[in-house]
Amino acid sequence: MSVGVAAAATERERWPARSRQLRRGILIGLLIAGGILMMVPFFWMITTSLKTRAEVFAVSPTLLPARPRWENYVDMWNALPFAAFFVNSVKLAVLHTGGQLIRCSMAAYAFSALRFRFRGPLFGLLLVTLIIPFQVVLVPNFILFRMLPHPFSTSGNWIGTQEPLWVGAFLGGAFGTFLLRQFFLSIPRELADAARVDGANPWQIYRSIYLPLARPALATLAIFTFMWSWNDFINPIIYLRDVQSFTLTAGLSLFQGQYVGKWPLLMAGALVSVIPMIVLFVIAQRHFVRGIALTGIKG
Amino acid sequence: MTAVGGRRFGSRGGGPLGGEGRWALLFLAPTLIGLTILSAGPVLATLAISLTEWDLLRAPRLVGLDNFVQLASDDRFLKALRNTAFYTVVSVPLGMLISLFLALALNQAIRGIAWIRTAYFLPVVTSTIAVALVWQWIYSPDAGLLNQFIGLFGIPAQRWLSNPTLAMPSIVAMSVWQGLGTSIIIFLAGLQAIPGELLDAASVDGAGRWARFRNIVLPLLTPSIFFTGVLSLIDSFQVFDQIFVLSRPRPTDATITVVYFIYENGFKFFKMGYATAASWVLFLIVAVFTAIYFRSQNRWVHYQ
Repeated sequence: MSVGVAAAATERERWPARSRQLRRGILIGLLIAGGILMMVPFFWMITTSLKTRAEVFAVSPTLLPARPRWENYVDMWNALPFAAFFVNSVKLAVLHTGGQLIRCSMAAYAFSALRFRFRGPLFGLLLVTLIIPFQVVLVPNFILFRMLPHPFSTSGNWIGTQEPLWVGAFLGGAFGTFLLRQFFLSIPRELADAARVDGANPWQIYRSIYLPLARPALATLAIFTFMWSWNDFINPIIYLRDVQSFTLTAGLSLFQGQYVGKWPLLMAGALVSVIPMIVLFVIAQRHFVRGIALTGIKG
Repeated sequence: MTAVGGRRFGSRGGGPLGGEGRWALLFLAPTLIGLTILSAGPVLATLAISLTEWDLLRAPRLVGLDNFVQLASDDRFLKALRNTAFYTVVSVPLGMLISLFLALALNQAIRGIAWIRTAYFLPVVTSTIAVALVWQWIYSPDAGLLNQFIGLFGIPAQRWLSNPTLAMPSIVAMSVWQGLGTSIIIFLAGLQAIPGELLDAASVDGAGRWARFRNIVLPLLTPSIFFTGVLSLIDSFQVFDQIFVLSRPRPTDATITVVYFIYENGFKFFKMGYATAASWVLFLIVAVFTAIYFRSQNRWVHYQ
């Protein structure tokens, strides 16, 4: 950089230095204001959940309740089998996540590290299923599960059981396979080659080299799958019949239909159902952000 | 045919996939089964089902293209198409524009910026059902937050979700709020990939803020813009959850969307043929729009 240019630059920058600081301050202020605006629905959820019905419908309502009414949470919890909803959501999300981690990592290993005929076409086929909107397969999948016999269900088939909501996870997933394959391709082949010379077979290579090295990618996939299952709504309402088997999303929708206008209870229910995801997000924000930046899929 | 290129794992004969085919089969079999019975098979099945009349109780009856003909003159379906189009045309550009602004503002190294970002990301991870419930309360005509807020300025209370002209915009507003975080993250990733030297060099050459944005940042960001565009486009054609909650007990013609139409016909009226026909129309629309969008990319997207 020539001296002349530098001098000109400082001359030009000196006076704006203060104004730039000011502009920066305003910008940060606006960002914080925007952030608060984004959080308003959550604040409103929390404060409403602690109000009395009289306070909610008061002519001049207050921001905060006069006295937090914690009993709302007890009333909400007992209004419907929320404990069962919670357990069901956890159970399905864990099964779903476990299934996807095992299956997608195995398929991704095959597609990135093994050589076999039709590898390209098969992977291409898998990618094509990524762009099929899920509504297209909604009806045929329902019909398929309706034809499958089930030993313990009242309908005799899989409708009304929780199985359709997680069994598919153990049969692979295009998104997870794609995500993990991208990661596996970045693992140096020399590692696998060295293990092979020492007599390791593909299963051992997958277990002791690929899986441990892919831990960050697996964490990202786990979080997304968990979130997707936890927030899924259309599948639970299509397949579940018995209230005891409902997930939180399906249960919340039922609650909405039965407790019209009882906002404190409804907000308490909504809050209870989002808290686990918020906690997970705060703990694992890094993985969330990386996952979205990488794939754009938010579940 | 044995392994090519000297990589072999005890694959005598190799099986149908050749090479390390046996191992590959071991790793892939469940995925291939899932692909066949839960994705590829069903896609073909919907084609067949859409040509029938089927209530699942009696045997399906072949009706040819009747379902498609009927859809073309079904008022509720046409409303669903129109509402979905409105939702897409408004929410996609609006969401992208706002999140681009926010990403530009959030892309700086200040202490505590991570906390501010969290506020923008949080709605993304929470379930649409739960947050739509809060929004229903915010939009509530009697004591809702929004009516109280506009009341401060002397604006009369509105029926946000039942007034046909306001209902869809209200749903769009909630969806934009919930979706901002996803696009912001993608834009931030794109912004952080822009080499700082490039911007410094431009400053030295006397380029102002706007010139740098217009000539360096924006072109380098086009891949991210394209990417969020695809995702929001596909997402918005599939809008369902918020309609279900905000248009309780049942969407009127003002808010029904295509996916709700499919849900209603398939799982409430058990008209399987009709529902799959509608899902094919949706699939075609999504495919055509995505294809057009993809073809447009060499006109405005700059890959480095």
